[in-house]
Amino acid sequence: MPAAADISVLIVDDQMTMRSLIRNSLTQIGFTQTREAADGEDALRALIARPSHLVISDFNMPKLDGLSLLRAVRSHPPLKSTAFVMLTGRADIDLVARARQFGVNNFIVKPFNTATLKVKLEEVFGTLT
Amino acid sequence: MNYAPETKLHLIQGEHRIVTDPCTVVSTILGSCVAACMRDPQAGVGGMNHFLLPGRSDSHEGVQYGAYAMELLINGLLQQGARRDRLEAKLFGGGKMVQGLTDIGRQNAIFARHFLEHENIQYLGGSLGGVNARRVLYWPVSGVARQQRLIDQSAVFVAETPRVPDFEGDVEMFAA
Repeated sequence: MPAAADISVLIVDDQMTMRSLIRNSLTQIGFTQTREAADGEDALRALIARPSHLVISDFNMPKLDGLSLLRAVRSHPPLKSTAFVMLTGRADIDLVARARQFGVNNFIVKPFNTATLKVKLEEVFGTLT
Repeated sequence: MNYAPETKLHLIQGEHRIVTDPCTVVSTILGSCVAACMRDPQAGVGGMNHFLLPGRSDSHEGVQYGAYAMELLINGLLQQGARRDRLEAKLFGGGKMVQGLTDIGRQNAIFARHFLEHENIQYLGGSLGGVNARRVLYWPVSGVARQQRLIDQSAVFVAETPRVPDFEGDVEMFAA
């Protein structure tokens, strides 16, 4: 069983409030290695400089949206195997199909609570300790 | 002078509207709920949302729900050409509708003020708190807002039932 504390996470969202909420939830679950980026471009730069095990990214963002970030991650060999979880709204059904095509690992529908976040991450990594 | 007929849109709890037509006015009736009226004056686009937090303003669920309501409004504005750094906002509502019970309105108002502060969105004022329901009219493109206090509040109580969001959602979930 993987330990949450061993998994490094990059949180990508253009809203600071949402980034703080996700970081707080991750801390509750046991994650200790978290970084943040405010848009897809910043996120890609941060990942190229230092890869993370997991990216949790919003879809709607300026500059580079979540789907473009996912495509960039999957096409960049050193980042290719990064786990990628997309945050989405209820109306983004088309996004689910497109993100699936590009190899997203899971989705989380907003608004969500810490328990849901944990379940979605465990679907990717297995039971977290 | 602009003689174009005015278009009226009415908003209920949980909804938001984005407007680029200067002759459109958005109205809503607020008790404990809060409406954020936001616009980018340079892009000529504005909008309004209307939300009621399902829990305390400092609970994870409450903030998540409120942040999502704000995100829908902001994303809608950005999609119509607004820029985040030019956004300005007015806030209305958050009244204490039932004396002696938990002040849900205050919790909603606190969340909305904190959200604008954290996101660096310019707060121009508005009207929060009090013990009366209010009808708010907002012309999103010009940013003009008007408020009318309501004496008969019975309709507001019927309309404002806290809606606890479904935290699981209806998009198919899967793991790789």
